[in-house]
Amino acid sequence: MTKQPDRLSIEKSERKLYDNLDNEIFAGKTRKEQFLFALAVGFKHKLKRPLETREGVFLAKDLHPEDQMILDVVAIYDTGSIDVLTNQQQVFNIAEEYAHAGIRLIYDNVNSGQPGSYFKKMELDLIGMLKPGNN
Amino acid sequence: MRIKRLIIKNYRQFKQAEISFPKRHDTDLHFIIGTNGTGKTNILNAINWCLYGDEPHLSKESQTLPLINLKTVDKKGSERESEMAIEVWAEAEDHNLIYFIRKAKFLKTTSLEIERQGETFEVRYVDELGNTKIVQDESADVWVERFVPKNIREFFFFDGERLDHYFKEATGQNIRHAVFQISQLDLLENCIERKLQGILDDLRKEAGKANPKIESARTELERLKVLYEDFKKRFADFEGQIAIAKSNICEYDEKLKGVPDIIKLEEEREHNIEGLKNTKELLVTKQNEKKSYLLDAGKLVLLLPAINNTIKVILEKKNNKDFPPPIDKKVLEDVVQSGTCIICGQKVDEDSKKKINEMLLGIKTSSDSAIKLVQMEIPLNNFLEDTTHFKEQLDNYSQEIAQLEKLLSNLTERNNQIDKIMSGYNEDLVREWYSERSKFEDIRDKCQIDIGGFQVNIQRTEGELSEAQKVLDDELGKEIKVKELNKKLAFCEKSLEIARLTRERIMKETREKIENETRRQFFNLIWKRETFENIKINEDYSIHLFHKLGFECLGSVSAGEREMLALSFTLALHKASGFDSPILIDTPVARISDINRTNFGNVLCEVSTTKQIVLLLTPNEYSEELRTVLGGRASGRYKLILSSDETEAKVEVM
Repeated sequence: MTKQPDRLSIEKSERKLYDNLDNEIFAGKTRKEQFLFALAVGFKHKLKRPLETREGVFLAKDLHPEDQMILDVVAIYDTGSIDVLTNQQQVFNIAEEYAHAGIRLIYDNVNSGQPGSYFKKMELDLIGMLKPGNN
Repeated sequence: MRIKRLIIKNYRQFKQAEISFPKRHDTDLHFIIGTNGTGKTNILNAINWCLYGDEPHLSKESQTLPLINLKTVDKKGSERESEMAIEVWAEAEDHNLIYFIRKAKFLKTTSLEIERQGETFEVRYVDELGNTKIVQDESADVWVERFVPKNIREFFFFDGERLDHYFKEATGQNIRHAVFQISQLDLLENCIERKLQGILDDLRKEAGKANPKIESARTELERLKVLYEDFKKRFADFEGQIAIAKSNICEYDEKLKGVPDIIKLEEEREHNIEGLKNTKELLVTKQNEKKSYLLDAGKLVLLLPAINNTIKVILEKKNNKDFPPPIDKKVLEDVVQSGTCIICGQKVDEDSKKKINEMLLGIKTSSDSAIKLVQMEIPLNNFLEDTTHFKEQLDNYSQEIAQLEKLLSNLTERNNQIDKIMSGYNEDLVREWYSERSKFEDIRDKCQIDIGGFQVNIQRTEGELSEAQKVLDDELGKEIKVKELNKKLAFCEKSLEIARLTRERIMKETREKIENETRRQFFNLIWKRETFENIKINEDYSIHLFHKLGFECLGSVSAGEREMLALSFTLALHKASGFDSPILIDTPVARISDINRTNFGNVLCEVSTTKQIVLLLTPNEYSEELRTVLGGRASGRYKLILSSDETEAKVEVM
């Protein structure tokens, strides 16, 4: 039997991005929550970046069933097959690659110097996405 | 009685001044005209000082200066005494003169301080035999009390500009007391009632000697009387304290008129600062909640395509019946293990075992995926449901944040307003005023509570007194020996009762007269005759002015109108009392417009036919309207002139 992965990882060099964003927009959020949001942003932009040097960010046992579900739906969408569900390592890899791209997008957006807060822009984007026909 | 002459020597700005008040016309009206600072009010003060030894109308600047004319003291040099004196010559109805003379000596010390050395007061008068008599001190004061009693002088010598404060400061009790004195009812009480009471007490004592029961009843009655008088005295003391407190409250109200309540404002500011702190904290919490919600729920919105995709896959597989049937894996595993089919009992060969193993692997894979997918269906739909409330939830957060921001803005703006309001005032002084006023309010409230207790005691003791009186009367009736004495007692009691009833009736009649006369004078004086309907003076001497529309309007009328009402009341008081002493008014028409001065002039003209009136006016007050009405009727007109170095005032006949 294949060994189940025990943790999710981020690109080692990008830990500082998470650290920086801790005080910017992620105040009060755990690394797991930050990772899942970065994953969602990467997914939204259809951007994945493979990890070169891995560094564990949180343990798989800390994933709640709802969190696992998020990883699973992304993996199903990404591979186009439900078979991926039996391969947790692949599910984790997909999630890590989206989160890798996502965290960079968030960081760049927060530090873009454009007027208006990140949250304000995000609020408008999200409301726009929920308008009929956009999903 | 009227003032015939006023002589001022070395008093304040007057080095030597003499003013005669001859009565030349049918009116007894006199003017003293002077610009501000020439000494009009000090003429009023000079009369007060001569008669009572004080200066109630002294300006703040003068309060720091000595009474004596500074020029005189300077001229004399140090270590030499200077004398100041004021004489008021009063003329009685029989034309006899009474001289009130007060003198004081001053010494300029080597350290240039001016010290008062001594003061004398004497009254000279001519007795029935034509001999001139001189009395001093307390005996002299008796003559002052006959002329203008000290307690009621404010109804004779007053500042017109203060008249509008009259109703604020004077309590019903004060006015009632003044009426009592002006109407000379105190004579009735002091001379007749007390005398009769004394005789009555002596008669009872005599009767007590005849019978111990009478003595015992008399003693009890005396004890109750002492108790009753004590309660009444303490009741009056409390009334006095309440009156003083009310008067002080009025004074502070006047000082604080238009001044913001700094204590309350500071409390409000402190409260707002606390509110600002709490609101800011609440705002940050709410903003963080919104951000957290945006991250959590926003994540699902961003992943909506993936969620929808999985739900779609689940539905398709359900519809196509792609999910594998449930196979008991344990049965297959047992068959491989034992090499015998546990259903049919036949041996299973190696090929079959291989096929069963392959089947087992396939079943495991497809079943795990299927189970996961089926388990995901409900939570994923819940995710979808959550995203449908996303905007609504965000709007709720936004509204709450907007409300908190508005509250913050309001609190900040209000505190800015408070700072602006308070910036123009001496906060410490205003705080002190508020604190003082609050103290007097506490005194008033406490006394009002205490006075209630005394009222109950007075009522109870009245009942006990009546009962004790009855017991004494019964005992006296039984005793034949005191029959003659009893007759005297009954006569005395009846006389006392009549004296009391008479006093009460006079008080009632006087009040009605004052009410009618006040009404008459007010409607002569006032220019808005169509505005006001009536004036009522209650038994407690509280005065009520009624608007044509029926409501009580004393509190809302102008200062000028209040002044006219006070003047009407004062004139009515004089007329009803029969007290013939003069009236001196300083700045009587400063607050009254020109047209209405005509009314004022006409009324004073009428009053001055029976009473001496002296008006101390500024040139502005002595306007054309007043000159037209009063100019030709005046018996005397004087002008006050200040020397070029502004240190000495002189009086000139106009």
